Amino acid sequence: MTVGDWKEPEGEKFALGTVEEQARWQAEYHRLVRDTVERERAGRGTDVDVDLRTIGMRIPRNDALYKVRGRARYAGNIEMEGMLYGRFVRSQYPHARILKIDISKAETAPGVKGILTAAEIPDDRLLVGPISDDTPILARDKVRFAGEPIVAIVAETEQQAEAACLLVEVDYEPLETVITPEQALAEGTVRIDPEDGNVITDLHHSQGDIEIGFTEADIILENDFETEPIDHCFLETPAGVAFVDSDDVLTVLVCTQYPHYHHKQLARVTGRPMERVRVVQTVVGGAFGGKMDNTVECASALLTLKTGRPVKIVFTREEVFTATTKRHAMKIHQRLGATKDGRITALDVRNLFDGGAYRSYSMICSGRCVIHAGMPYRIPNLRVRHTAVFTNHAPSGAMRSFGVVKVAFAMECQLNELADKLGMSPIEIRRINGLVDGDHTSTGQTLTDVGLLKSLDAIEPIYEQRQKDLAGQSNGTRRRGLGIACLGYGIGYSGVRNPSTARVRAEADGTVTAFCGTPDIGTGSDTSLAMVAAESAGIAVDRIRVVSGDSTKTDDSGPTSASRTTYFSGNAAHIAGQDFKQQFETAVANKLHAPREEVRLQEDSVIARNERMTFEEACRLIGDEIDGIGGYGKFDPDIAVNILTFEGNPYPTYVFATHLVEIEVDTELGTTDLLKAWCAHDAGTIVNPTGAEGQIEGGVAMGVGQALWERVVRQDGYIMNPHYRDYLLPGAKDVTQEIESIFVDTHDRTGPYGAKGVAEVSLIPIPAAMASAVADAVDARPSHLPMDAEYMLGLLNGNGA
Amino acid sequence: MTVDVTLNVNGRPHSLSVEPTETVVGILRERLGLTGTHKDCSMGVCGACTVLLDDRPVSSCLLLAPQADGREIRTVEGLERDGRLSPLQQAFLTHGAVQCGYCTPGFLMTATALLEENPKPTRSEIVEAIKGNLCRCTGYKKIIEAVESVTG
Ligand code: FES
Ligand code: FES
Repeated sequence: MTVGDWKEPEGEKFALGTVEEQARWQAEYHRLVRDTVERERAGRGTDVDVDLRTIGMRIPRNDALYKVRGRARYAGNIEMEGMLYGRFVRSQYPHARILKIDISKAETAPGVKGILTAAEIPDDRLLVGPISDDTPILARDKVRFAGEPIVAIVAETEQQAEAACLLVEVDYEPLETVITPEQALAEGTVRIDPEDGNVITDLHHSQGDIEIGFTEADIILENDFETEPIDHCFLETPAGVAFVDSDDVLTVLVCTQYPHYHHKQLARVTGRPMERVRVVQTVVGGAFGGKMDNTVECASALLTLKTGRPVKIVFTREEVFTATTKRHAMKIHQRLGATKDGRITALDVRNLFDGGAYRSYSMICSGRCVIHAGMPYRIPNLRVRHTAVFTNHAPSGAMRSFGVVKVAFAMECQLNELADKLGMSPIEIRRINGLVDGDHTSTGQTLTDVGLLKSLDAIEPIYEQRQKDLAGQSNGTRRRGLGIACLGYGIGYSGVRNPSTARVRAEADGTVTAFCGTPDIGTGSDTSLAMVAAESAGIAVDRIRVVSGDSTKTDDSGPTSASRTTYFSGNAAHIAGQDFKQQFETAVANKLHAPREEVRLQEDSVIARNERMTFEEACRLIGDEIDGIGGYGKFDPDIAVNILTFEGNPYPTYVFATHLVEIEVDTELGTTDLLKAWCAHDAGTIVNPTGAEGQIEGGVAMGVGQALWERVVRQDGYIMNPHYRDYLLPGAKDVTQEIESIFVDTHDRTGPYGAKGVAEVSLIPIPAAMASAVADAVDARPSHLPMDAEYMLGLLNGNGA
Repeated sequence: MTVDVTLNVNGRPHSLSVEPTETVVGILRERLGLTGTHKDCSMGVCGACTVLLDDRPVSSCLLLAPQADGREIRTVEGLERDGRLSPLQQAFLTHGAVQCGYCTPGFLMTATALLEENPKPTRSEIVEAIKGNLCRCTGYKKIIEAVESVTG
């Protein structure tokens, strides 16, 4: 047993560097931040209160210094003495009974040190899952999708593990394969799940009276929409390292959005007490919702316990495509009724989700699709039915917006058609129906700080100008078009409390650490949280080191998902920062025997009785008692929804946006190019504009992919394009650089410094806006994503364009 | 069967005995501990593994060690000079061109080669040069702006 080989790296957990190197990088970061702050302040003029704030500054990311050096600690980069490498044997069939698993040849293969099958995992530990425990760590007697893991093998090298996997013999008895949701629901179809058959969830929600709503309507639009499954395509494939440290703590270093989830799960799966398990998030190379399920965690943990050696497992790209969660394939049937003057009177929605083989986040995505039906508009009479079913596809799970991008695609396309039919502009129809302060959502929540109309205001003049510019420009086979789409999106988990906490502590040498539960998955949230905590504590932003995503060092603050980190963890960091400041000031006052109110910590120095000392001097003055200072912040807004009626307040706040895009369709080739995008967001106060723009630009790129090409092609339950050659991701030539991020002037009264967040949402309107722009350009209405060349040519021909 | 090769990595020669089918990305990461060169698709499509081979960007996942024998390889770890970041690395930092960072070393190598060959590329030349590097986070805009900012 090589217990004890692992030492906690000194300094920054994200950096691979010696202590000296890290100190040098740190100094470099200090200089960079100080220069930035100085420059930004100089540019801000003299409005003192706001000027002094670091909130709103373009503070460089605190991890970029080692990322640009190639010295970031991604899980795949971690090597340990005695390490073994793991690979999986995966199902060859989409649906089959397992008759026999023969590992005898693999056991004696060169380098093999351990083999794990479901047979050795006790029943009550076999099943895992983020919402329901339904997914076997390794399949035992049945496989439900091609690519499902059956056996895990560790060997001295990855190649040896791979070779040994080929020696495992699995006897299957193939079962009927369920490949469409309709088939899943049909009478007599084989049951995929022993408990629920083929229905994961079937949700109903209504408000008002749908029949009356349609009788009030002068016009009714009834359309079907369909979207294909897509993959997250984070560039870093899932990777993790498991070992037992010298204190007998099972430690898993893994790229994840939610270390605390794995922590609880691993304790159960290994039968260890929670304090004997630790999960530390490594640098995450992109996630987008796809790193919140079990991938490498359980198998690597069980195999390290079994072999007594550190185990590393890294997925291949093909494994990502075949075996990790996908964005749901979805069908939407929508009836929309409105009056002649453009007022929506009724919306009737029928959603069907291909949930794949296991539940993953299907419930959560379904709930969100129900709550967001009709967003961001006033819908007096609404009826939604949403069914998610099992099929023999890889499980569908969470991906950027939890399904809302597809709901918005349908809704926004309908609204644009409505505007056209009524001879209104797409702006006007949204002004008539768009949510404003004091409106109620379909769950009965009263809204405040709604910036939707402001985002429309920001887009309107650009739209009008571009319309003029483009008049008469479209000719021949290259047709230009403009499209508009809006979004409204609830921040955080849907309908259940999901608190975040933060702690701020200082050391006698003046270093300050903020402990935040939600990990930075590449968005830069650690930097934003440092900015918020620093602002509230009254200290310099570069003084704060953020420790996040470590189950031992931080509290469970939920995952980094649902666009919740800036708002939830930001609020927690804000409260913790203020608490720290109070305690710190009191400690200084006590030392100086000064009245409490004469001591102020601000701008990284302490002013006490009109004398100024540096923060370090103050820390020295406080001395050992500094250990007693611990700023604590918990943000836990009251969220509750009745799961039967959907009545209640599912989210503490909502973000809104309006996007305008300009596209060009080549009617001969069927290809579409995004030329420009204007993205006006109500994201509340912007904590770090560089980061927020980065989220929007990345969201636009992802939206272009989903709109135009991305699709996991499946046939008979097998994925036909499990690699980037045939699964097309947008490259630099495909994404316009003409993306204008516009932050409208809004302030959320409940957000940290008024912030709400950006993250997922910038993706949501893009496919809808592009579809509407296509309709504008070629006079045919797309109803399918992706709008690839084949689809477009069919559409163009079908409509005689 | 193994063959002996010498790989000159960031100016330092490494004599190694390798399997003829071993890829340079594997050697860099597993044998030389240079994990800044990342790996994703292993098929030459994503650019995460880009290194410079005699100053030209190549996918090191497709480059076999014998093909690189005696030649100069540069990786992201070799971009610093005396502990100081190259202007391009610095620009990636200040322009927000880095998010999750997994693609970053590949982009840095591709853009370094571009700038060495053509110190004043136009925007479309930059786009053309980096078109083989994928990034899922940034939307490329800030990467392109970062490269543009060091074109003097
Ligand atoms: S890993 Fe080499 S190009 Fe993708
Ligand atoms: S920054 Fe994440 S892939 Fe480029």
